[in-house]
Amino acid sequence: MKSNPVYKREVTVRARSFRMPLIILVFNGILAVVALLNMYSAVAQVRISASVQYSSFLQLYAFVATLEFLLLMFIMPALTSGSISGERERQTLELLFTTRMTPKDIVMGKLFSALSQLMVLIVSSFPILLLTFVYGSMDLMDLAFLMVCFLVTAVFCGGIGIFSSSLMRRSTFSNVCTYGILLLVVVGTYMLNIFLLNMSQMQIAEEIYQLGETRPAASSGSAVYLLLLNPLATFGEIMEKQVTGGIADLSIRRFLGNGPDNFVIRHWIPVSILVQTVFSAGLVRGAVYFLNPLKNEKK
Amino acid sequence: MLKIHGLKKKFGNFEALRGLDMEVEEGALYGFVGPNGAGKTTAIKIMAGLLKPDEGSVEICGKDALRFREEAKDQFGYVPDEFGMYDNLKVREYMEFFASCYGLSGLMGRKRCEELLDQVKLSDRADFFVDSLSRGMKQRLCLARALIHDPGLLILDEPTSGMDPRTRMEFKEMLKELCAEGKTILVSSHILSELSQMCTDIGIIDAGKIVLSGNMAEILQKVNDSNPLLIRICGESRTAIGILKKDPRVQTIAIRDEDIIVNFHGNRQAEAELLYSLMEAGIPVSGFIREQGDLESIFMQITSHDKGKVVLSSEE
Repeated sequence: MKSNPVYKREVTVRARSFRMPLIILVFNGILAVVALLNMYSAVAQVRISASVQYSSFLQLYAFVATLEFLLLMFIMPALTSGSISGERERQTLELLFTTRMTPKDIVMGKLFSALSQLMVLIVSSFPILLLTFVYGSMDLMDLAFLMVCFLVTAVFCGGIGIFSSSLMRRSTFSNVCTYGILLLVVVGTYMLNIFLLNMSQMQIAEEIYQLGETRPAASSGSAVYLLLLNPLATFGEIMEKQVTGGIADLSIRRFLGNGPDNFVIRHWIPVSILVQTVFSAGLVRGAVYFLNPLKNEKK
Repeated sequence: MLKIHGLKKKFGNFEALRGLDMEVEEGALYGFVGPNGAGKTTAIKIMAGLLKPDEGSVEICGKDALRFREEAKDQFGYVPDEFGMYDNLKVREYMEFFASCYGLSGLMGRKRCEELLDQVKLSDRADFFVDSLSRGMKQRLCLARALIHDPGLLILDEPTSGMDPRTRMEFKEMLKELCAEGKTILVSSHILSELSQMCTDIGIIDAGKIVLSGNMAEILQKVNDSNPLLIRICGESRTAIGILKKDPRVQTIAIRDEDIIVNFHGNRQAEAELLYSLMEAGIPVSGFIREQGDLESIFMQITSHDKGKVVLSSEE
């Protein structure tokens, strides 16, 4: 990637701009304030109860990780959604096409430069995330797992941004489209499951059961598999696994009822990571296709 | 250097190109002109590989540019009507970025950038940000960028639009220099007087087709041959008109102020013979000149769609 001129230029320009240090400052500032306040409250509790509640430090970890995850989900699209449409608006995209750069080079250069910037954010936030290490309870494997989740989510959100940017002529439309798709995937899939779960609960409540007959648990049915596409659901599962009783009820279990216990459900985290990676690859491929000036045009 | 055959392109129901044929010889400075909407930019974009034609072929340096796109990219440099600048890069970085886009990096790339910045007289601005440059400087930088990989063919789409006369003149000289160095240049412009001064060849496109093309001097000569003779006589002109009427090569005669305007079909030798016959009859001729045609008048004739006024056509 180092030899990709678009990547090199993007990194140079971003490193030079005032925006980069500002984003790092704001991002880590928010994380630090939240973490330190949380820690202060935990320590204050120790003073009162004279006993150390280790679960509160785990909650601190979950809280900071969730905040970081949500911030990443908002920052990555912002970094990518204007990248190609911006080139189009500056009239530089055509110039790139007349050079040896292929649409794939351009898309990869843009995506990886945004990922690099995001990695800087993630790495710079390590000291805050590692506050919990002071009291134990987490290990490096947990952190590595979280990093994989962050990276997959970043590629996923970046993929949506790059795809919209390649498809739309103007950055404003691309921004709207990116956040629209993201909202549909992240909130839409949850809303659909919650709606179907409620419907199922109402149906069960209406049905008459004989004495001794157990009522089935409500579930959202097959719609739960749509959550495989949702990075927030994956993150929720990771948090569920790492911190029992995570701070947000993002777990897929609530939608399952007595539902299927198959391979996908048992291996939800790796399967969803795989699904999201494949989806991201599809988005990147779509971006490359739409960027190609010589693709078959509709008459 | 550049051969285009039967190029067709439709946008919906609108036919932008209807079988465009043109040829640009090696070392030529080819002026590509036409009214708005004639298909110039579409044709240029197809040449540059930015649009796919519906039919036809484009050959650059003898190679099919539509099939062997990557090889063709090394053969031409493209300057669009909009500069396409990265304002947040310095001039040197801008050049080095495009050098690396052509695989020129390291010392070789830097050396080439310096050479070109020197050539377009921007060496002293190498460490300035691109957005601090004037429009003329940006256009020179754009030209330098198009030359970064030392292409044989330069395709320029309206390169002097929005420039002041001095900058246009400097840019024109730069193109002439490049042509003298052996580059083939295709330039589209609306400033016809400028093109007639610098181009060696010209192609006029109208409604998606080339309606006139060829060597600039030959075309101007053809126009001149069909232009009227302006004859000025000291004193009474009746005798002169009588002599002119007798000449079978004289088509029409008209009087405008002091001038006799004669539509005369003949070359320079025939003109000399006509002048001699007037002098021999003792007519005091004080002026005898063929009205000079220019690119603008050709352009207006060709693109006016008024058959009656046309003295030149692509068949000629």
